Amino acid sequence: MNAIKLAAREGRSRTTVKVGRVEFGRNLAVIAGPCSVESEEQTLRIAYAVKAAGADMLRGGAFKPRTSPYAFQGLGLRGLKFLARAREETGLPVISEVLDPRDASWMSEYVDVLQVGARNMQNFSLLKEVGRSGKPVLLKRGMQATLAEWLNCAEYILDAGNPDVILCERGIRTFETHLRNTLDLSAVPALRALTHLPVIVDPTHSTGRVDLVPPMSMAAVAAGADGLIVEVHDHPDEALCDREQAMLPEAFAEMMIRIRDLRTFLDGAEQRMEKKGDGYE
Amino acid sequence: MSEEKKNSAGNLNDVRRRIDEVDRDILKNLQERLEISLQTRRLKSQVRDQDREKRLLDRLKADCGTRQLLEPEFVLNIFERIITQSLSLQETTGGLIGFQGEHGAYGEEAARLFDPSLVPIPCRQFDDVFQSVADGRLDCGLVPVQNSLGGPITRVNDLLLETSLKVTGEVILPVRHCLLANPETNHREIREVFSHPQALSQCRDFIARQGLIPRPYYDTAGAARKLALDRSRTEAVVAGRLCAELYHLEIIKEDIQDRNPNLTRFLILSRDESKREADKCSMIFSVPDSPGALFKTLQIFAVRNINLTRIESFRDRDHPGRHLFFCDFQIGARKTDLPGVLAEIEEATLMMKYLGCYKEHR
Repeated sequence: MNAIKLAAREGRSRTTVKVGRVEFGRNLAVIAGPCSVESEEQTLRIAYAVKAAGADMLRGGAFKPRTSPYAFQGLGLRGLKFLARAREETGLPVISEVLDPRDASWMSEYVDVLQVGARNMQNFSLLKEVGRSGKPVLLKRGMQATLAEWLNCAEYILDAGNPDVILCERGIRTFETHLRNTLDLSAVPALRALTHLPVIVDPTHSTGRVDLVPPMSMAAVAAGADGLIVEVHDHPDEALCDREQAMLPEAFAEMMIRIRDLRTFLDGAEQRMEKKGDGYE
Repeated sequence: MSEEKKNSAGNLNDVRRRIDEVDRDILKNLQERLEISLQTRRLKSQVRDQDREKRLLDRLKADCGTRQLLEPEFVLNIFERIITQSLSLQETTGGLIGFQGEHGAYGEEAARLFDPSLVPIPCRQFDDVFQSVADGRLDCGLVPVQNSLGGPITRVNDLLLETSLKVTGEVILPVRHCLLANPETNHREIREVFSHPQALSQCRDFIARQGLIPRPYYDTAGAARKLALDRSRTEAVVAGRLCAELYHLEIIKEDIQDRNPNLTRFLILSRDESKREADKCSMIFSVPDSPGALFKTLQIFAVRNINLTRIESFRDRDHPGRHLFFCDFQIGARKTDLPGVLAEIEEATLMMKYLGCYKEHR
């Protein structure tokens, strides 16, 4: 970890990244929304639903990294316009994934946070480009990446002059094939010691199963995650991608109550410990 | 599908696309034809002129002679329909309002905002707006006088000094610049952006962020029309939303101006003073070159507690060293005070030109 200069904790206080009204690294920030932006109507509908459930930010893919070239590739720039419209209507900041270095400046005109996906974690020219964009970046962990490799990628963005990097654990590949990926929750507290950057968790892509999203979200919050990014769709059967893993808005709303309560409980416990002069850290 | 079939399908698509283009041209020309004929109605004593109609149809019939596909019966049929429509529009249409630029220009947006019942008519230059209202072809005109970012529009203020027309209204348009491109354009391939220099300068940061090359053009809507005609995929334009609709362009990004709000104030010009409710006035004056001359003039407003909303000075081209002051003030409900105010100002100044009284746009 010697090459990690800017991302390393080394006595630095924790970085917070402010997006709209939420501050990653201070509050529990919840990002929710569909896998893909499919239409203006669908985006608005889901935006209102996740806002009502208490989400802080809206997600939605416009440029989609798909395993098959024949699968739905996203609406592109038109999808970004729908996201921007949803922000205008609901006031929720929006995040979307950037796939192509040529798109970083264009996407910055529409979204509040740029997402670099797991498959592009080590796309170094893309990292330099988002580093120059002036927008906060959500950097997902590559599915075969060690923590050191991941932090080196964050280093690229920080080195390009962008201090607002949020890390996102989204599951890694192991020998276990029962689930889509193995959610490496131990990375969350481990990263707290290694870096000052906020860390959030993606319980959707890591498990690939909607029934596992609520328990793993609770576990992530308990492990000290600074937030969650969750896929929500009001008609999962009709979704153009990943239909088996999107939560219904009602289930998402219930989960929000549980995780907010859990976080409040944990914050209270923390305060009581501090009073005793015997904190966790 | 066989190779041959594929080719003929491709060719058919090409030909159909050209048909669509020609159809759009026909529509555009039809609209222009109706707009021009509407401008004749104040210039003749009665709507119908059968001699003129006969001469027009005879000439068209003669023109058909050399064009094999244009059978006279077919052509006359179409033009009789056009004439009938022109005549009926001359009887039913509301007032005509001139604006500078091509269809889709911000002037047209402002005209629609001012009074949607008026028919906006494009004019080439600001001078043409003034001229067409003065000679009766148009009922009123709309010209921009100032922009919140760019300042005064010099040519219009010059024309206001010379004109015999009256200011009978104002409208303030929030200018929302859009980046427009042909629908098949890939945003990654856009290199150049065309527009009026004023519009380009108001979007300087956006243009720099995207690394585009700004190219000045005489008019925002004109640039949009040209882009649609050229079908370029590496060019975009900065223009209003209305242009996207009119020229079938795609809005890549709305609100690309660097600063908000970006407001342009337009004045409405007519041959006669407004008889409608009015609470704001405009005038131009120049003062002698002596200590306190401007102060004494402004004092007239101050003692009567009249608020000035604009005072702007321009060089007097006929008298080097002298300045002309363009000023707008809120007379409010005290319109009866106006003759007194004007008389006092006339007394205190070298020259005073009263432009008119109108309803303030809020």
